[in-house]
Amino acid sequence: MSKKVKIAIYSGEIPSTVFIERLILGMSKNDYLVYLFGYQKRKVNYQSKSIFVKSYSDNRFFKFLLLIKYSVLLFLFNRKDKKTLDIFINQNTKNKTLSKIKYYPVLWYKPDVFHIQWAKSISDWYWVQQFGIKLVVSFRGVHINYSPIFDPKLAEIYRKYFPQVDGFHAVSKAISLEAQKYGAVAEKIKVVYSGLSEIKNDNPREENEGGEFKIISVGRNHWVKGYTYSIDAVKILVSHGVNVKYTIIGGQNSEELLFKIKNYQLENNVVLLGNIPFSEVQKMMNNSDLLLLPSVEEGIANVVLEAMQLGTLVLSTDCGGMNEVIQHKKNGFIVPVRNSQKIADAVLEIMKLTENEKNNIISNAKETINKNHTEDKMINDMISLYKTVLNQ
Amino acid sequence: MKIGLVLPNIPSYSETFFKNKIVGLQQNGHTVILFVNNSEAESKYHNCTVVKAPKLNGNKIIVLWNLLLELLKMIFINPKRSYRLYKFNKKDNVSFIKNFKSIVSNQFLLTQKLDWLHFGFGTMAIERENIAQAIVAKMAVSFRGYDHYVYPQKNKNCYEILSSKSVKYHVLSDGMKKSLEEKGISEANISKITPAIDINLFEALIIKKSTGILQIKTIARLHWIKGLEYTLEALALLKTDGIQFHYTMIGDGIEKERLVFAVHQLGLSENVTFTGKLSPQEIKEELSKTDIYLQYSIQEGFCNAVLEAQAMGLVCIVSDAEGLSENVLHNQTGFVVAKQNSKLLFEKIKQVIQLPEAEKKNIQEQAILRVQNEFSLEKQKERFIEFYQ
Repeated sequence: MSKKVKIAIYSGEIPSTVFIERLILGMSKNDYLVYLFGYQKRKVNYQSKSIFVKSYSDNRFFKFLLLIKYSVLLFLFNRKDKKTLDIFINQNTKNKTLSKIKYYPVLWYKPDVFHIQWAKSISDWYWVQQFGIKLVVSFRGVHINYSPIFDPKLAEIYRKYFPQVDGFHAVSKAISLEAQKYGAVAEKIKVVYSGLSEIKNDNPREENEGGEFKIISVGRNHWVKGYTYSIDAVKILVSHGVNVKYTIIGGQNSEELLFKIKNYQLENNVVLLGNIPFSEVQKMMNNSDLLLLPSVEEGIANVVLEAMQLGTLVLSTDCGGMNEVIQHKKNGFIVPVRNSQKIADAVLEIMKLTENEKNNIISNAKETINKNHTEDKMINDMISLYKTVLNQ
Repeated sequence: MKIGLVLPNIPSYSETFFKNKIVGLQQNGHTVILFVNNSEAESKYHNCTVVKAPKLNGNKIIVLWNLLLELLKMIFINPKRSYRLYKFNKKDNVSFIKNFKSIVSNQFLLTQKLDWLHFGFGTMAIERENIAQAIVAKMAVSFRGYDHYVYPQKNKNCYEILSSKSVKYHVLSDGMKKSLEEKGISEANISKITPAIDINLFEALIIKKSTGILQIKTIARLHWIKGLEYTLEALALLKTDGIQFHYTMIGDGIEKERLVFAVHQLGLSENVTFTGKLSPQEIKEELSKTDIYLQYSIQEGFCNAVLEAQAMGLVCIVSDAEGLSENVLHNQTGFVVAKQNSKLLFEKIKQVIQLPEAEKKNIQEQAILRVQNEFSLEKQKERFIEFYQ
């Protein structure tokens, strides 16, 4: 039997986001050894014996011990590489000690593939290629879609390093095109859509007592989520006499949104909630008539995929890769970005759908998820990307 | 009279009206003491003593040392006033711990003998409602916009205790006055004193027809309150309509990223410049090369920048946010558009572009005249002297 392939999935923090954790578990089930480097935010307990956590924490003493351990190991058994890396650290990094704490374990374990989840950190990690490690970079949302537009220095860094990367993972075709503007080679990019694990939704939708049309949005309170547009849209709907209840999970405490709601006197129509457990979110989503994604930019919003899987109608703006998931009026609804009138118009149209039409769209949406967004497909696609990179 | 003014920091160069108010009061024989929250501020400002709040966060050793000093002040310098403050706070059902903290952290306000204690922003008076009474001074509070319209949305009932006290309020607009009255504050205790500008600095331009491309400008902090995303969306409609223009955003702020992205996404990269923060002289220079001045805010106390633009004789289009519709008189000294609606703003800009020169000139002249008559620093000085009488 050939040696198992070592993949480092690097997001900087352990544990990482839901989707990256899903990738970690998925890879470990598929005969790969998964290495996690970086800063340990919380204690993690992976059942799998194929996952190796090589992290550092805030504790100075442990950091020091870690540094000693890897310095000695590398000095004794891999002196040449250590010397090369030390030269790199001396020439390119500011905090040399921290860089050693971050880099030495990677050099010691030498994974076959080092996969960076957030493109911004590329300037920290391109050195791994010098040691025969293949470098893979993910394009996920903000790091490609708007950070380099705001930060020309970052754009420059991308232009400098992207052409040398061995392989890219893009969460959508749209983001793949965007990344090509910074020199990512089209042939090296593989679009791997986010995958959801299977769920069984046996919960019947709760009877809607108030007779109001329930709209829900889920996502952190950030301008990129476009909640100002959805609240403007609710204002338009209410002024048309529509009985609508709009809940934003994650929007709590936003001064801007609170001000708008008060200003438009929408206190009875718009509710802002804080972070609530995922199971609760699912329940609320299930009991809503519509999931609305008013974002101005996204990779592909997972929450839309989740709603489609659950059987809740979705209305999304045409941002990022959303139009790769949603076909207008077939499996959901899609409107231009930054246009509250169009959101309001679409809601009115959705409210007029017959049960039959609704069920049709919902079943198409489920089919889309089953076809393109399963966890198995995501893992298989990612494996094929790694195999290409490793010439297997 | 001795007047204590409580501010977050010593007024920056652009806050002309604060400086003017202070100088005006001093010229009339009053003493002004500045209390600031910033422990690193300078100790002197235009002939007034600056009393700084102690630093009570950050390095633990410094904090402990400062706490000790404040405790000593409490015991040896301000025992009577501290006790009075304790009693008044207790009457307002402030818990013992909170009361104690308030006494220690506000020692710097208790040290001076004053006739008036004036909080420069509503938010500065929160949890300090009894200090004036404790030092046997009269209490005044200024509301400037954000503190009145936005802060209470997130912090419900934050002015409940304040409104039960005997306070003289200073507001910037009739709208703000009315809204305080609706909250049960007696009209007699509210004075409207609008901001003022240095008319000599922003003197009227010789009105000329610009030769180049249409220049549109805004001076604003890059913050959601300023409605800049709506502004950019209106400009995108203008561009789609085939109108050539250049837009300059003067100012800096935490939401630059949001706006830079909006410019990019709306296809306005060629049409928009961000200058960052500029000096008054540079601002004047920029304004002298402007055809239309926009201030399409979502919330605005009054807005000095619009006064400056009017003083220079620019055609201003503003939103109807709070004080702005008193700052600019619709169809007389400029144009007022309902806020938060980029389509309406676009239509108004287009209309203004097509306005006959004579009509434009008439509006510009009226704007200059009104600012000179009603918003001069002299006028403001007089009103503040009346305020404390």
